[in-house]
Amino acid sequence: MTYAIELTGVTKRFARQVAVDQLDLQVPAGSIYGFIGPNGSGKTTTLRMILRIFQPDEGTVRVLGNELGTTADDRLGYLPEERGLYKRMRVRDLLIYYAKLKGNYDCRRDIDFWLKRLEAEEWKHKRIDALSKGMAQKIQFISAVVARPSLVILDEPFTGLDPVNMESLKDSVRWLRDHGTTIVFSTHDMDMAERLCDTIFMIHKGHKVLDGTLDSIQSQFPANRIRVRFADPHFEPAPIDGIEEGMFTGRYYELTIRDHQNLQPVLHQLIDQSEIHHFELIRPSLHDIFVRIARPDQSELLNQ
Amino acid sequence: MRKILTIATREYRAMVATKAFLLSVTMMPLLMFGGLVTMEMLQNVGEIKDLKIIVIDHTNQLYQPLNLAAKLRNKLYETDEQTATDSEADLEASGIDPKLLEQLAGDPQNRDEDDDFGSFSRGARFLLERWESSQVTDQIRLELCERIRNQELYAFIEIPADVLTAELPQSLEDFAALPSASFYSEDSTFSDAKIWFGQVINEFAKQYRLKELDIDPILVAKSSLPVRVRGMGLLERSSDGSIQAAEEKDDLSAILLPLGVLMLMFMVIFMAAQPMLESVLEEKSQRIAEVLLGSANPFQIMTGKLMGTVAGSLTIFAIYLGGAYVMAVYRGWTEYIPFGLIPWFVIFQVGGVLFYSSIFMAVGASVTQLKEAQSILLPVWLLLMTPMFIWMMVVREPNGPLAFYFSLFPPATPTMMMLRMSTGATIPVWQPILGMAVLVISTIFCVYVASRIFRVGLLWQGKTPKVNEIIKWAFRG
Repeated sequence: MTYAIELTGVTKRFARQVAVDQLDLQVPAGSIYGFIGPNGSGKTTTLRMILRIFQPDEGTVRVLGNELGTTADDRLGYLPEERGLYKRMRVRDLLIYYAKLKGNYDCRRDIDFWLKRLEAEEWKHKRIDALSKGMAQKIQFISAVVARPSLVILDEPFTGLDPVNMESLKDSVRWLRDHGTTIVFSTHDMDMAERLCDTIFMIHKGHKVLDGTLDSIQSQFPANRIRVRFADPHFEPAPIDGIEEGMFTGRYYELTIRDHQNLQPVLHQLIDQSEIHHFELIRPSLHDIFVRIARPDQSELLNQ
Repeated sequence: MRKILTIATREYRAMVATKAFLLSVTMMPLLMFGGLVTMEMLQNVGEIKDLKIIVIDHTNQLYQPLNLAAKLRNKLYETDEQTATDSEADLEASGIDPKLLEQLAGDPQNRDEDDDFGSFSRGARFLLERWESSQVTDQIRLELCERIRNQELYAFIEIPADVLTAELPQSLEDFAALPSASFYSEDSTFSDAKIWFGQVINEFAKQYRLKELDIDPILVAKSSLPVRVRGMGLLERSSDGSIQAAEEKDDLSAILLPLGVLMLMFMVIFMAAQPMLESVLEEKSQRIAEVLLGSANPFQIMTGKLMGTVAGSLTIFAIYLGGAYVMAVYRGWTEYIPFGLIPWFVIFQVGGVLFYSSIFMAVGASVTQLKEAQSILLPVWLLLMTPMFIWMMVVREPNGPLAFYFSLFPPATPTMMMLRMSTGATIPVWQPILGMAVLVISTIFCVYVASRIFRVGLLWQGKTPKVNEIIKWAFRG
């Protein structure tokens, strides 16, 4: 397998603080790779090292086959979080500028293609500061991909978008992958990461804590919840041994169980209370896993 | 290289193709020379005002000549032929020597030569009115003042009975003992009418006194004719070996030209450096810097931006030069344009723009808000402004020690050297060359240091670093 990005033993310090500590990372070419992690965990520092804005203090960063080097790589596209646009420029001029900066001097066709694809054609003569947040976000996305990069790094690309715009942007990300582009994006939206990413990577306090496909990650974390639907929708189950907490989500009861190895007694006790239409062991969502790792007390436990 | 050009082009367009640029290109000279120009324009446009002035003449001799002099003076503003002829008839009837009166009236055409810009109220007619009653109390004065406040009256002047007849003092120092007239108006300090009254009354008093002493006024006038001392340029030997006659210098080339050159240099540097601060700040706060740094290295970004700003400053220079040329042709001042200075100006301008722009960029990269930048830039501002405070001294003594050392002090070199050269004094040619060398070396140093600060500062978020921290970035990277 070829990797678009390979980090080996990368450490980056700022003054006395270690931002990234001995990080190893491989991003397969042509995949969508999600970066998750709490604020201040070292995500942006890692992205900036990949972009060659920062140099690592230790270890190697290999991007698209190139190791080291201080010159910016034209095959990389980058979308910084939220901002990154000149407010007083017009959409089209700005896109031309960003394309040229990345060495795409014959960019008009690409600009038209993307403006059309994201239904943004009518804004092309508008000034950036006249755009709504969602519009600006789309333009920013185009600016990152307009120079046909092999690798696109998107920092929080979906914030501030309504569901319709979000879908069209997600489609575009998939379209890029299907055309051979590697996409690395960071997000706080776990749902998005679950649905869009081929591989998920989580960094916490400068260390790698998760890395792999959703399945492989979920299999590392035991399922500790069950979902139950009773025949009588208004039925409320009485407290049961082995259940820590429960909540009604509208159609289902979601119950957290103490021991996932020992489900049978729980099921028996529930059947005794009322007729059951649905019983399911649910795997932890990425959201649950994230919270489990990043919650201060829990992460202490994990490190032990 | 192509990336540098791309950045330079954007920077140039961001600077030049804005309304703000157009506005500041027009506003800057207006702000700097506006006072002079508007004054001149104001007195030529608009209506001619009638200023009503009451004369309380206790001498009973001065009102008639004053009134005639005023009429004569008003003639110059009279559009109505009939009124003009009437006043001429009055003059003949009065029997006062018309030559004297004309002198008294103060011919604006003659005054033009004494005073280039004149003042506001020359566009006004003085309508004098005699106060008939000889009894004047404070009550009456108060009532007259009320009329002035109500705009019915412009002013009143009270001339004591003995202004003409008072005994002349023994010594010239005792002039204060002589009686004085009082002029009351809301703007009496600057009033042109007050000055005019002073001139006319004094001229008349002089004539009166001379007559009393039995001296022919014409003889006095003749013996008082001035000996002119002309300020000359230096003689030169021209290329064919003959000696070129020296030219008489005038105020225009001695003061206005150096001032203009100084202002132009200042404006060009200011207008080029300030947008750099703003553009770097925008790139930093909008996180465009990361996109840029992901596309080009700091050296390319900095070079591109500096090229853009130099191009912008040359555009400003071209606009002003063109404007100045058109104005010079229009006013017949083409001989004053120092064409030989233009190449020097361009060289020093490029140096100055690079020098200051790189400092402004470094500061822009170090701070997060314009407000913070301003406090750090205060000393830089002072450096740039220094020539403004001492320019008069430099114009007086272009080869004096102050002028010499300041013009070799890099931050002041562009403005000072050009100021010295534009005075027309002979500056040894090694001095501008040395100045240029000093400027080039310090600019290279400045750009180098600034680019290091720029690189670190651009990604610096959070609290504003202290000045010593910024200096640390420059030397440790």
